[in-house]
Amino acid sequence: MANKKSLLKGREAMVVGIIIAMVAVFSILSPTFRTYTTFVSILDCSYYVALMAIGVTFPLITGGVDLSIGTGLICYALFGGYLIVHKGMPVGIALVACVIVGTLIGLLNGFLVAVMDLPPFLATLCTCMINRGLGSLLSGGFGVSWPSALEPAGWFRSIFRFKAGGQVIPVGIALIVVLVIIMSFVLNHTKIGRYTFAIGSNKEATKLAGVNVKFYHIAAYTICGFFAGLAAIAYSATYVTIYPGSGAGFEMDAIAGAIVGGVSASGGIGSIIGAFLGVIVISLMKVGLPFIGLQANWQQIITGLVLIGAILIDVVKKKK
Amino acid sequence: MKKRILAIVLSTVMALSMVACGGAKEEAPAATTETPAATETPAAAETTGDSLHFEVLVKSFQSTYWQAAVKGINQACAELGVTANCNGPANESDIADQVQMLDAAIEAAPNGIGLAACDTKSVLDSLAVAAEKGIPVVCFDTGVENAPEGSVYATVATDNVAAGACAATNMFPVIEAKIAAATTAAPVRIGEVNQDATALNIQQRGLGFINEMIKLCTAAGKKVAVVGNEFYVNAAEGAVAEGEAEVIIEVGVPAQTTVDLAATEANKIMSKEDTIAIFGSNQTTAEGVLTANETLNKLSTDPATGIIGAGFDAGTPQKAAIKAGLFIGSVTQSPLMQGYHCIQTLVKICNGETVSDMPMDGYWYNTENMEADDIAPNLYD
Repeated sequence: MANKKSLLKGREAMVVGIIIAMVAVFSILSPTFRTYTTFVSILDCSYYVALMAIGVTFPLITGGVDLSIGTGLICYALFGGYLIVHKGMPVGIALVACVIVGTLIGLLNGFLVAVMDLPPFLATLCTCMINRGLGSLLSGGFGVSWPSALEPAGWFRSIFRFKAGGQVIPVGIALIVVLVIIMSFVLNHTKIGRYTFAIGSNKEATKLAGVNVKFYHIAAYTICGFFAGLAAIAYSATYVTIYPGSGAGFEMDAIAGAIVGGVSASGGIGSIIGAFLGVIVISLMKVGLPFIGLQANWQQIITGLVLIGAILIDVVKKKK
Repeated sequence: MKKRILAIVLSTVMALSMVACGGAKEEAPAATTETPAATETPAAAETTGDSLHFEVLVKSFQSTYWQAAVKGINQACAELGVTANCNGPANESDIADQVQMLDAAIEAAPNGIGLAACDTKSVLDSLAVAAEKGIPVVCFDTGVENAPEGSVYATVATDNVAAGACAATNMFPVIEAKIAAATTAAPVRIGEVNQDATALNIQQRGLGFINEMIKLCTAAGKKVAVVGNEFYVNAAEGAVAEGEAEVIIEVGVPAQTTVDLAATEANKIMSKEDTIAIFGSNQTTAEGVLTANETLNKLSTDPATGIIGAGFDAGTPQKAAIKAGLFIGSVTQSPLMQGYHCIQTLVKICNGETVSDMPMDGYWYNTENMEADDIAPNLYD
């Protein structure tokens, strides 16, 4: 265990090093990159991915995965937008609704995986499709615009981007850091966290030790769904119109971030702070690569290559 | 044991539902609207057969633009006493899904097909099959170049070249002084964010803006370079190398049709100190520009204080941006009338009438004419 801890710390330090190197390279190659507004933009597109990554770290550590969070995010945001635009409900209720629906879908995923013994990949692929269809149904198949920052009902945007004197203050990062600290505590110092690791390390042994594996397995997916609901809020607060049919692929940014940050693709190892740092790497690539003149398609290729590298490191370390 | 059996049953149900979902993409849409035939339009019923049924494929149901098109289709169906089934992929990037839907529509042997193609090359084989089966196709929103002979009877679409040029024509006077002051040592930059480089309407619109801006700048004695996405760089007419230019048009194309990736492209362009203007050539990219501005806070209607922004299409955020002085204006199409004329043209074909292409105008709108009678109906939410 001590070895694992030092390994994780080493991995997190390595990711911090990668972040510093990337910022340096982008700043040298593009003077416009090293501005405050670019920094804010990187954070803007990190919030929803970071929230998904915090959540998906739990299923990943159990040795599973949740592929439904990307389309889920859009589905919950469409549902929230529908309540505001078509039902005239207050924004606060829509925000709560996003989290509730997300948590319920997470619970369903947990039930399918833990109780019904469905492979996580297939179970969450199914709910991914359900989310996609459900989002279209809820919105009547059309995009839904949440209140913009220009409207009084757009107050919720200040949760992530507070405007003072024309300057945007990225307060969302403080919220994310608080959540990273809380969930790190949950993962490392509570029963839920410890048994999440135990399930990922050796599920049968955990069961034989008398642990209610099903309960903690369901809890891991429910936490993931809860954070997908929070990610829906972050996405709606950053981007005005939510389009049904989008969202597929968002989960890959979160999973890639978690794996780059040291969460093992085969379970049993990982940290919330690592996942968060990994997301910063992904977001840096998303914003930084266009700045140095690479077409956006290169971003996907390079993200894929970085992910291969991260998984290879994981595999090599495990073999040792 | 019971749980195992239950798991197997559930797995089977899920697998079947997945298959059904897959099938649904061919036969049932991401969002489908079945339009009932009207019973109270005797004049229309006289000109049409009572049993005419059309399959209509839109590019997606992502934006409110298509909501307006479907409204026009429904309106025409009600007036002309026909029925239409509207179908479309979940995302405008889902080219393969739309081709499958088109094949399924042809298999259903309707009296005609209305098609807004996501990718104009991918539908060519299907159109050939439609021609073989004698099913007339009317394209709307996007024309299909090199369509197999006898397949596409008419195209009802915005003249996108003119519509893109319309944005350039209205933007140029606002930034003319800045362009006049530009030199090769201190060039100015005009950004353009295009959703893709594959759909013909987006290509034409993007190039319409670029080529018109090149013309206007050249007439003002300035040389223009086009940088960024390779398609637009290669297709631009009259551009020079970047080092020789006083005006640089930078074209960004996101990897996928999402607002966040469009915003990243806009952000990259708007962050540059020499950027004086930016154009988002459809609803998604215009919203991408506005999203980038949420952080950058650079858009203005005064070139002395910020970047001049212009958009395309409508939608709540874009209309609010024009009212708030973030965009000088936008170009709108008439999706409602395109949908309407698509059905009307199909009915004419079925009645043996001769039809021809129907180019439709793009309209410039700003704070001054947004409420005008000829503009307001086109400004969907």
